[in-house]
Amino acid sequence: MTARPDGASGPRSAAAITRVAPAGWRPACLRAHADGARFAGLFGAPRGGRAVELRAVFSTPAGERVIACETPERAVESVVDVLPAAAWDEREAHDLHGVRFVGHEPLRPLLDHDAALERWTVPVAGRDAHQVAVGPVHAGVIESGHFRFHVVGELILSLDLRLFYKRRGLEAAATGRPAEDAIAYAQRACAACAVTSSVACAQACEAALGLAPDDELRRARTVLLELERVYNHLHDISAICAGVGFAPGAAAYAALKERVQRLNLRLAGHRFLFGSVRLGGSDLAPAAADVADARAQLRTTGDEHAALWRQLHFSRSLQERLDAVGVLGRDDAERLGAVGPAARAAGLRRDVRSESTRLCYGGFAPVTPAVPAGDVASRMTQRAIELEQSLAVLDELLADPPAPGRTRAIGPTAAVAVGRVESPRGATTCLVELDGRRLRALHLRTGSYANWPSLVHAVPGSLLADFPLINKSFELCYACVDR
Amino acid sequence: MFVLLSHLQRLRRAIAAPGPGRRGSLALRHVDAGSCNGCEHELTAVMSPFYDLQQYGLSIVASPRHADVLLVTGAITTRMAPALRAAHEAMPEPRLVAALGDCALGCNVLGLREQLAGPLEGIVAVDLRIPGCPPSPAVIADALTAALLARGEDRTVSGEPPAPAGGRR
Ligand code: SF4
Repeated sequence: MTARPDGASGPRSAAAITRVAPAGWRPACLRAHADGARFAGLFGAPRGGRAVELRAVFSTPAGERVIACETPERAVESVVDVLPAAAWDEREAHDLHGVRFVGHEPLRPLLDHDAALERWTVPVAGRDAHQVAVGPVHAGVIESGHFRFHVVGELILSLDLRLFYKRRGLEAAATGRPAEDAIAYAQRACAACAVTSSVACAQACEAALGLAPDDELRRARTVLLELERVYNHLHDISAICAGVGFAPGAAAYAALKERVQRLNLRLAGHRFLFGSVRLGGSDLAPAAADVADARAQLRTTGDEHAALWRQLHFSRSLQERLDAVGVLGRDDAERLGAVGPAARAAGLRRDVRSESTRLCYGGFAPVTPAVPAGDVASRMTQRAIELEQSLAVLDELLADPPAPGRTRAIGPTAAVAVGRVESPRGATTCLVELDGRRLRALHLRTGSYANWPSLVHAVPGSLLADFPLINKSFELCYACVDR
Repeated sequence: MFVLLSHLQRLRRAIAAPGPGRRGSLALRHVDAGSCNGCEHELTAVMSPFYDLQQYGLSIVASPRHADVLLVTGAITTRMAPALRAAHEAMPEPRLVAALGDCALGCNVLGLREQLAGPLEGIVAVDLRIPGCPPSPAVIADALTAALLARGEDRTVSGEPPAPAGGRR
């Protein structure tokens, strides 16, 4: 593939907004869906009095469409029967803003931790069925969240999640701040997606301000995004090995990850690339010698990965644990709105990178495993092949050292705009609303948020002992979901 | 498998992994009380081949009942404060509490006041402060090995045998 600035189609301007009355909400959303646009998030924001502003984002290859609706009565018709991918979004808007989604039955609490157990869990009855409660504090070094398994013996019948223990209220805290500060809040949501969330937020703000990135800015951001993906994918392969107690694989990939994080530090001044994205420009300008070194090191990383991967592939004791475990089928992935490596491992060949006009991914084509079985093995393989792809993109982009980049004014400003970026876990959507140069609303829907329902779906029928492994194969964040 | 193991051996030589440390041990229990997950990544890295803290007698244990040190990360959300207190109360004495990262130390925290119960200091007494956003694995490794040494010296000074910590020798 070639990674070149996409000259064919310039950066798209702010999202196309359709404003509807509450009665028109469901028809408008269903029409967008019927037209082939893909659901990418639904957000609520408080307005004066009782009113709540609802916005649904749909993505199309030509850009994002936003359906907006102010509901004074805080009630609209639900869309979950047609768009199950919106289930968590509706539950969140209900818990945060009291919006009723008529027809979403039962509307289980998502963020509301005061709700009684029977209200947020799916009832399971039958002989010997019982619950196993795990968390919020887990046994390893893991983020906090609560899992409730309904099991018979070792067999998992169903799983309910209660996340949002790490809720810091970042989006609400950002409201009213200058647009320049938005990125700090988006970045803080999650270390492992820090660049993705920052770039999505920067893109949204810049689109709202009528700014477009120049070639250098696109290139710098693409380099940062791919560095983030590389260390994450190395981490994930290591974590899957650890999930089955395969220590040599876990240690080898952890070492590769460590090397790439040291590279991050050298190139951009931070092991997680914190602070490397800002509104309206880029200061990333590493010395030519460092860039040449980095390129050589990334090639070595690719070679070592190729050799290690072959070894993992021929380790029976590892492979036996991965096949046909935690299956997410293609149709379910589509229905539940799965994104990222989890969706591609199930055969959905889509990736925001192939439509990112504000980045430097010209000619990018998503990859999938030869047999996208949607199991743990496929999700691991997906990481391995994407690693090669990302390393190839980086090799090309780092042929010349990144230089400072900037934005230029291209068009009209808009109050509302959307940024979409492919994170290591999948499509991340950031919607901003500006009032002049101040944030009126900031919403972040990361790849992890989109994929938790798919994990819940992939688990039943597995053994309890396989859960950590299935969980690792999705490797979803809690922090950016909880925000 | 053989190739993997010899790869690891080469790796350890190449990075000059630290040699065996002095005797003693500290069992560590981590609680994420509202982090961005950066501090967790670095804490995990401390156990990777590059730093390999296990060989100093520092290990992560599965239960606060087995732990000498509580490592707390994050801004301490109101939703995590009760679980954090429960974990702390479950630990046997003597115990140490470490604030791992700027958030736990109350520096540069972002969020809504009503969602945050931190910093850690206001909830439990803090013995060990490990600053950074996130602190690098090297900084974490230094802080923890220093705590291990300090504990050994305390023991020598007071002449008392080490107090038994749950689940350990
Ligand atoms: S100190 Fe930094 S890395 Fe650690 S949890 Fe806070 S923001 Fe994340």
